[in-house]
Amino acid sequence: MEAPPVTVMPVTGGTINMMEYLLQGSVLDQALDSLLHRLRGLCDNMEPETFTDHELVYLLKGQQGNPFILRARRSLSHPTAPWHLRYLGQPEVGDKSRHALVRNCVDVATSHSLPEFLNEMGFRMDHEFVANGHIFRKGAMKVVVTKLSRILVPGNTENIERLSLSYLVELSVLAPAGQDTVSEDMRSFAEQLKPLVHLEKIDPSKQRH
Amino acid sequence: QPLKYKYDSIYKWTWTYNRSPQVLQLISKKRSLSTAAAVLLRGAEKLSKSVAENMENRRQRDFNSELLRLRSQWKLRKVGDKILGDLSYRSAGSLFPHHGTFEVIKNTDIDLDKKVPEDYCPLNVQIPSDLEGSAYIKVSIQKQAPDIGDLGTISLFRRQPKSKAGAQPWHVKLEAAQNVLLCKEIFAQLSREAVQIKSQIPHIVVKNQIISQPFPGLQLSISLCHSSGEKKSQRAAPEKPKADDHLYVLEHNLHQMIREFHKQQLSSVLMPHPATAPFGHKRLRLAGPQAYTKAQISSVQQGQGLLEKIIKQAKHIFLRSRTARTIDSLASRIEDPQIQAHWSNINDVYESSVKVLITSQGYEQICKSIQLQLNIGVEQIRVVHRDGRVVTLSHQEQELQDFLLSQMSQHQVHAVQQLAKVMGWHVLSFSNHVGLGSIESVGNASAVTVASPNGDYAISVRNGPESGCKVLVQFPRNQSKELQKGDVVLDSKWSHLRGPYREVHWSKMEGRNFVYKMELLMAALTPAP
Repeated sequence: MEAPPVTVMPVTGGTINMMEYLLQGSVLDQALDSLLHRLRGLCDNMEPETFTDHELVYLLKGQQGNPFILRARRSLSHPTAPWHLRYLGQPEVGDKSRHALVRNCVDVATSHSLPEFLNEMGFRMDHEFVANGHIFRKGAMKVVVTKLSRILVPGNTENIERLSLSYLVELSVLAPAGQDTVSEDMRSFAEQLKPLVHLEKIDPSKQRH
Repeated sequence: QPLKYKYDSIYKWTWTYNRSPQVLQLISKKRSLSTAAAVLLRGAEKLSKSVAENMENRRQRDFNSELLRLRSQWKLRKVGDKILGDLSYRSAGSLFPHHGTFEVIKNTDIDLDKKVPEDYCPLNVQIPSDLEGSAYIKVSIQKQAPDIGDLGTISLFRRQPKSKAGAQPWHVKLEAAQNVLLCKEIFAQLSREAVQIKSQIPHIVVKNQIISQPFPGLQLSISLCHSSGEKKSQRAAPEKPKADDHLYVLEHNLHQMIREFHKQQLSSVLMPHPATAPFGHKRLRLAGPQAYTKAQISSVQQGQGLLEKIIKQAKHIFLRSRTARTIDSLASRIEDPQIQAHWSNINDVYESSVKVLITSQGYEQICKSIQLQLNIGVEQIRVVHRDGRVVTLSHQEQELQDFLLSQMSQHQVHAVQQLAKVMGWHVLSFSNHVGLGSIESVGNASAVTVASPNGDYAISVRNGPESGCKVLVQFPRNQSKELQKGDVVLDSKWSHLRGPYREVHWSKMEGRNFVYKMELLMAALTPAP
């Protein structure tokens, strides 16, 4: 069965083109507690919340060009919550002075039959992992401190092995395109987390090779 | 140098020299005394210094303990060498952009020698100048529209609320400032909604006043009254004390609603699961996966604003008070029959009910035909009869009044019917709505005809809300005098035929009310056994 041609049209989500502004960093396991303490002080005073998610990354390969990637995520701690399908675009090149990585982002809440649907469409699962950790909020900013774990037996989220001895820290904001004040806010927030964690603009496409 | 002094000094010297042992003693004594005095003085100095230090320390400690107390009730943070606090409702879910920051000031440079004033506190707070003074939201309903020129100039002030005994001055100050902030937030929210919401008669926002027309010829005015500082006492004094039409209930409800709004804001910002999902309404995320219908989605988004709610409440309050007034004025104007209103104590903000009974004095037990339940809503009044019939009246005052008038007129006829049963009379005919006779401007006339126990007499009553009552008595044929001459039916067996009707001069009848008069009439027409 031949794979359908991959669309070359830009992907947008509805009328408002949302962008994800992202800063990333990591901390060692030992430093986790002090980072969480700091985050609790800085972020909106809500009860700190933990999460355990299972993410599946799907590829749709065309005849030529890069494969089309979609990420399907479900919450293991909230089994009734809808699945989350996410498309992330290539990081925007351009303004070097911008403090955060900016990429196109489409978020869709879906029903639980998402994996079957993607398979029917011709997508194939590339890899999967379990992410658990803590989530914080400050205004529109979201701070996620994640431990990533490899899944040893495909499909079994119980049998996992941690990938590293550190936590991934991500600071992200969803905003319509062209709101550069957002990255300014993110930078000042990242400043306040130093030296516990250095949040930087990391281009994932450059890391791959 | 004069010679005399020279010799004087020589003499002194010789004198001292000669008495040297005593002198030496004296000198040494003096010296030792002075050293002792110096020691004492130094000690005293040290002591007083340490006392002063102690005082200073204590004041410092007082400041710290006050700061600790402040910290237990207010949010503080240190910025540079300043201590800043937050008096905004942001952490409670407010979205008002005012920063609401206050500064903590150490108030320790007080002159120790002077008497320390009673209300001295080592800690003081500096609040933003726009939050000083006191404020409140005034909600009122007025009959006629004032001139447009008058708008936005409302500056009525109430007295400062008396501070609770034992409360720290900074606490009182901060609470007042917080109240001003909340009032400002309410007003900002209301005026934003007033501009956004499309209504048939646009809401007017002028300076510190919002004007809306809930009903024609009626206006709801919501104004922010903010008195800053001391100026108000002089400005308010010459003003004539106007009738206070301030609706405290609505002011209270506004406060309650903004708090609910805050709470809703807080509860809606749940953390998303899975973690990559965007922030937002949890139920809205379910809309796609669970294929919500349009109605379900709009029920999630039902965001009735503060202004819409308060207008609805104002409409209800107005309708309720006008209904009460209508009933009261009818009750005082019309003595017969009597009208009673029983208001329920427990009401909703949008609905309340009243039970209206129409009775005749002295005959409450037998004449209980009219019992009405009036459910007063926002736009209309639903009237439920005892038998379950429902009539819907609009907000117009006249409608309710006409309705009650017609009910009162019907009551009289019902009363006659019931009285007849008690008196042993027979009801020959009864009609709530008579199709004959002059047309009433309000409702319909009702009529009843009753016959005496032996059938000799009949009383016919017609009662209209406007035309009043008309009572006719039908005599037996043999008793009527006019018919004797030329009457063709002379046989005695026809004597039981009914004769002509004659009207009773009702106003000349004895008796305190309609039913009593009727009872007397019936009694008079009933033959003695």
